Amino acid sequence: MSQVTAETGIPVAGQETIAPSRGLQLLRPLQLAGPFVVALIVGAIVLVASGRDAVGTYWLLLQQSLGGPTEIANTLVAATPVLLTGLATAIAFRSGMFNVGVEGSLYVGAFAAAWAGFTLTRLPGPLLILVAVVLAGLAGAVWALIPGILRAQWRVDEVVTTLMLNYVAILLTSWLVNYFFLAPDIANSMSPLIASHAQLARLLPRSQLTIAFLLALVVTFLYAYLFNRATIGYQLRMTGLNPRFARAVGINLGRAIIVAFLLSGLIGGIAGGLQILGVNYRFIDHFSPGYGFTGIAVALLGRGHPAGILLAALFFGALSNGGAMIQLFSDIPLDLINILQGVVMIFAVIELSRLPFVRRWLQRA
Amino acid sequence: MPDAVLGVLAAAAPATTAILLAAMGGLVNRQGGIVNIGLEPMMLVGAFTAVVVSAQSGNPFLGVLAATFAGALLGLLFSWSITRLGANEIVAGLGLNLLVLGFFGYLLPTAFKIEGTLLPAGLVGLPKVEIPVVNQIPGLGPILSGHDILTYLSWLSVPLVSVFLYRTPLGIELRATGANEEAARAAGVPTLRLRDFSTVIAGAFSGLAGAQLSLGVVTLFNKQMTGGRGFIALAAFYFGDARPALTALGAVIFGVFEAAGFRLGSSGVPSQLVQMLPYLVVVISLTLVAVRRELRVRERARAAAA
Repeated sequence: MSQVTAETGIPVAGQETIAPSRGLQLLRPLQLAGPFVVALIVGAIVLVASGRDAVGTYWLLLQQSLGGPTEIANTLVAATPVLLTGLATAIAFRSGMFNVGVEGSLYVGAFAAAWAGFTLTRLPGPLLILVAVVLAGLAGAVWALIPGILRAQWRVDEVVTTLMLNYVAILLTSWLVNYFFLAPDIANSMSPLIASHAQLARLLPRSQLTIAFLLALVVTFLYAYLFNRATIGYQLRMTGLNPRFARAVGINLGRAIIVAFLLSGLIGGIAGGLQILGVNYRFIDHFSPGYGFTGIAVALLGRGHPAGILLAALFFGALSNGGAMIQLFSDIPLDLINILQGVVMIFAVIELSRLPFVRRWLQRA
Repeated sequence: MPDAVLGVLAAAAPATTAILLAAMGGLVNRQGGIVNIGLEPMMLVGAFTAVVVSAQSGNPFLGVLAATFAGALLGLLFSWSITRLGANEIVAGLGLNLLVLGFFGYLLPTAFKIEGTLLPAGLVGLPKVEIPVVNQIPGLGPILSGHDILTYLSWLSVPLVSVFLYRTPLGIELRATGANEEAARAAGVPTLRLRDFSTVIAGAFSGLAGAQLSLGVVTLFNKQMTGGRGFIALAAFYFGDARPALTALGAVIFGVFEAAGFRLGSSGVPSQLVQMLPYLVVVISLTLVAVRRELRVRERARAAAA
């Protein structure tokens, strides 16, 4: 079954090695912006077909996501978890590991942070926050270590194991919160609130912008450093680009795989932990609207490049923040955002240059 | 307690059907070389189409037929994105999940003016089949009798898929494509068209599975009704190593888990732990298969070195 990954290849890992033809060079910016453009067109069609004003809706979306300091702050809040899950996914993808299990790491990380937040309440504020974030990262890393070891030791196909372990993590945390850590005063499946000194301080009034976003930016810089400067990053990249070459130059493939999964899970866990400490303040059963899966779209759209990942995360942050506002002000369902996101994902991996009419256009150019 | 066990088994028969059908489709797709994680959205499209067509025509069988076509069509589009436009199957599959779920989440409130459940006027479900004599047997009766017609017919898919894959030229070419696409193409096999065909089969089976959910198990549509069964089906054919009989066994086991999960939830056993089982079983069985293969490889390497 391990041929699954070998056959398909990972879109982010394989950067082109041959100089692209003139036609392909023309296509490059189109290929990067293409998924967004197609998604916005599909969204417009859906809006018009359901009798809505597409231009007006997009204008409202833009205003509600970028129209002022509060709006921008809320977009950054929404971008934070998907920036982190995007980086977590990209680390694995660039190392040749098709880890689609960041959602699982996010859940166990979130649970660990919430547990620390409502249990270790006698620790002073900054220390409690630090402990909660560290525990979240560790939980996420340990969770990712399971498919990592299976892949490194026995070449168990990581696509299927990571996908399956997402559901295990969601159900496991659901069990924990419902059977052992239910908030006493609430009927819904929620843990108690974390201590108030565990909650990240707000940087702006009327917004949940906290240092979580700044931390995510720091992780983005570390990601850039890892793949551009650090030896281990070079080893990971080589493992992703050409495992046989990597082995030939003395890179320990098993170790590289484990490191890739550990780092990926660590960041995924931190993403979950910060979401609890900065936004939700408690663990809620099934709380994630798919941050881990959006992270896959973010990593792909950013083509594994740190600045690209940041931009893609901001795009999705703006969409989900603006979309939530639009749902409040009009009768347009938030599900529009899921449609856009699905289209973006599909068109991020489709090679537009293979479309017959695009090929003809390229030949003329 | 025996009554509870019999109750679970009676509920397990219809619970198995959708998983079995989708798993058979996914298996054919897998043998053709595509890991289809879009079974879930294809089921959802089938479930919706079945309800709309059944309500419009008053004929549930037309609904089932339309659902099969709708699933097949979505399968074809999905396949083209992979075989013709080079999309990565996992990413495209995840995207399709989001897209279809978002589509129904958007469609129901805007076009049908409802938030949750679609129950159009004139909707007719599939008839229940009472087997005479058998339904009188105490205990066994409710397990074997009284289910929707698709629950019985779905079992035909196991020998059909088996014969198709292993006994027909088309099936053998399909497996050759999945095993080594380049070699198959060199031998003159139309690999792209065969891979498309296998995804169309997966879509058709998934559409049928969706129809069984929305016209057989219940008679309504809502966007959560597939409830992860597409991924359980994926679990079933990975458990069965993409072989029909073993995959069917996996589907039955997971169907029993599903039926048991409902009952156990009310009796104090955490339903989450029961729901977790299929996913854990897949991780464990994949590991066992891989360990056995690696041990063999290492054994051979050691023998060659000696």
